[in-house]
Amino acid sequence: MKKKIISLLCVCSLAASLLMGCGGTAGNSADKNLSEEGSQAANENTAKNSEKDSVVVTMPVSSEPEAGFDPAYGWGAGEHVHEPLIQSTLVTTTKDLKIENDLAGDYSVSEDGLTWTITIRDDVKFTDGEKLTAEDVAFTYNNCRDKSSVNDFSMLKEAVAKDDTTVEFQMTKPFSIWPYTMAIVGIVPEHAYSENYGQQPIGSGRYIMKQWDKGQQVIFEANPDYYGEAPKMKKVTVLFMEEDASLAAAQAGQADVSYTAALYSDLKLDGYSLEHYASVDNRGINLPAVSADKNEDGLAIGNDLTSDTQVRKAINIGIDREEMIQNVLSGYGTPAYSVCDKLPWYNSDSEVEYDQEEAIRLLEDAGWKAGDDGIREKDGVRAAFTLIYPSSDSVRQALAEDLVNQLKELGIEAKTEGVGWDTAYDRAQSEPLVWGWGAHTPMELYNMYHTDKETGLAEYSPYANEIVDKYMDQALASSNLEESYELWQKAQWDGTAGITQEGDIPWIWLCNIDHLYFVKDGLQVAEQKIHPHGHGWSIINNVDAWSWE
Amino acid sequence: MVKQYAIAFGKKLVRVILLVIAVSIAAFALMTCSPVDPLQANVGQAALGSMSQEQIEKLQEYWGQGQPPVTRYLSWAKDFIRGDMGVSLLYRQSVSSVIAVKLVNSLFLMITAWLLSGLIGFFIGVIAGMNRGKLIDKCIKGYCLIISSTPTFWLALLLLMIFGVWLKVLPIGLSVPIGVEASGVTFLDRLQHAVLPAAALSILGVSNIALHTREKMIDICESDYVLFAKARGESSWQIFWHHGFRNVLLPAITLQFGAISEIFGGSVLVEQVFSYPGLGQAAVSAGLGSDMPLLMAITIISALFVFGGNLIANILYGIVDPRIRRGGVR
Repeated sequence: MKKKIISLLCVCSLAASLLMGCGGTAGNSADKNLSEEGSQAANENTAKNSEKDSVVVTMPVSSEPEAGFDPAYGWGAGEHVHEPLIQSTLVTTTKDLKIENDLAGDYSVSEDGLTWTITIRDDVKFTDGEKLTAEDVAFTYNNCRDKSSVNDFSMLKEAVAKDDTTVEFQMTKPFSIWPYTMAIVGIVPEHAYSENYGQQPIGSGRYIMKQWDKGQQVIFEANPDYYGEAPKMKKVTVLFMEEDASLAAAQAGQADVSYTAALYSDLKLDGYSLEHYASVDNRGINLPAVSADKNEDGLAIGNDLTSDTQVRKAINIGIDREEMIQNVLSGYGTPAYSVCDKLPWYNSDSEVEYDQEEAIRLLEDAGWKAGDDGIREKDGVRAAFTLIYPSSDSVRQALAEDLVNQLKELGIEAKTEGVGWDTAYDRAQSEPLVWGWGAHTPMELYNMYHTDKETGLAEYSPYANEIVDKYMDQALASSNLEESYELWQKAQWDGTAGITQEGDIPWIWLCNIDHLYFVKDGLQVAEQKIHPHGHGWSIINNVDAWSWE
Repeated sequence: MVKQYAIAFGKKLVRVILLVIAVSIAAFALMTCSPVDPLQANVGQAALGSMSQEQIEKLQEYWGQGQPPVTRYLSWAKDFIRGDMGVSLLYRQSVSSVIAVKLVNSLFLMITAWLLSGLIGFFIGVIAGMNRGKLIDKCIKGYCLIISSTPTFWLALLLLMIFGVWLKVLPIGLSVPIGVEASGVTFLDRLQHAVLPAAALSILGVSNIALHTREKMIDICESDYVLFAKARGESSWQIFWHHGFRNVLLPAITLQFGAISEIFGGSVLVEQVFSYPGLGQAAVSAGLGSDMPLLMAITIISALFVFGGNLIANILYGIVDPRIRRGGVR
């Protein structure tokens, strides 16, 4: 018996030692390797900050341009517009989203708005040594027009190179905000362009793409021949990771700038501070502005409660945006009053004060009287609706819940429901939905409030106002960008009509979400432009101007 | 004899072809029913909001909306039969090249995890079974039960926090070091980056096989032939080697080769946590992004993996137990 036990123990210990042995050696070697790296890093840490010129930034997995760094496949464009870094653009946007020349020395537009003439600098070279000419610009735009998978080029008829430094854009219709398209389209070299350009992009921008480990990281190096100011940050590594992994990367000290969300804003990380950057990444709800009906496909359009302008006005001033921002965003946000707060085409008349008493008075005056359960009623219509939100978005869900509580105080009953995007658009035609917008172009304003030719109603939520339509059409047709800003503003409120509190208020804007990052101590992140919708590349728009102290 | 093998092989071939057809139809049908709106998922609501209707129509065409599903399936199938898996809508590259890159990463991870979980699981299962009711058995059993009720991603996050964040001995993710050019990346680097994801996968993989092996081992220990062997004075090791090993190996092989699908599924979650660029991640982005050609190819490849696993198990039966071999070829 004893013998058996001993032999069994032997087998066990042998096996155990084998296993341990395996694990042990692997662990040891890894250990050693990393401790070496660690000590190296520590040594560098003392000396490096003064001369360090590289930075590691995390971004959400969705920021990776799967189809490559090709403007035709959406690099720079889309939901989250940003500067393409690798390529240079004709113009660029300033901190307050106005337009500034870059490659373009000068640009002008014809009276009818159908021809744009751009003169480009003649001292710019691609990183392969070839000169950047008007031919390349024309090629880039024509290529985008034919293939663009994200950015909208439907208004471009043709781009023609007139000579080496002059390019002409012939448009199908006047499009005064064309410079905002020019600000994100990176110029590609015609001689080095193929279907696979996006995998190995060549440009004339501030950075050269050195390496792309797909699904993981992109490494950029400063372009030594850049025609503008030489980038201070010589190497930029962008990591694509989920929110948890991004946090872990900061906790482990491996990322210098790590994106995060309001949920984690209470965390204190050693050696990091939480930075928040203002955005136009807004959240708001649509209030269908026509009475309930069905269209020819049987789809419900309109809502008998929200079609009452007084109700919409009451909701707009009856909600406490500050409270909502504290509750849902831990204070990291700003109240939103339009889809384009603080952008050049924003009309500050959109701003309203929170005034619950006035809101209740508006409802009372309009004949919405409280019933036995405190919920208002008028002509048999109960002041109740379903507030829908995209079920995948926890922030929008929380906003919806907060809104429901606030509406209850006004005597309006709302219940929340999470929906998928397959049905959300249709449902929003008759029920309010929590949306998120925030593009760097007035086209958003246009698509939201301008009527569709066929239906006579705006696309995302039924609403129509001829005056608003007219101003926006004029703005697009304008041959002067500065003048068009004014027309966009008038579309919001011209003193008598518009989409603000004084006007029709078919959408209620709740908040702009601050974009949060853990930033390593000593890193000076240059002043940011107002961020567009979503976390992503725009944080490193000006990475060339970042520095370490 | 040769003819018999040929027939057996032919049967298997027919079976695998039928399997691929069935799987592809099922996957395609599920995708068509999926509530994911490809434009919404890939272009984004805010981007769509600043586009003209013309551009949106152009995109809908690209993402295959508006075409009847049957036409889409048939045109895909026609290309697939000719060996063309199509072009990934998301990556704008041929599906085969997208998969090739991801597969290499994933295979390394999955094979390591599969081997480790199989060997360790079998081993601790045998030990537990032979020491039924003793402390070591209770420990192993307890461990397996706890582990099998642990969600994969949670364990992966735990490992990440312990080894990546607190102890800082292993990387927090990716398959290569941060900011290092490919030429500077050594095999050791890659190994080091695979340790945590592989560990997360194998730790979870052991419980199933260990518990089944333990059960089988207990049966064997209670059998008459083991009693007889004990009576003859054979040592535990001899009993295991002569009477237990082959008998307990059979169910273990079935399970382990069947578990390929589980490792495959687990890798999806683990790769997400560790930002590891494998097939799992590609499957997730293809699924969420409605990238039909890519998702179809990944589904079929994983089906082939599982089929291959079971096929190997069948062949190994024959090697382990000659009785099955004779029966199989009849």
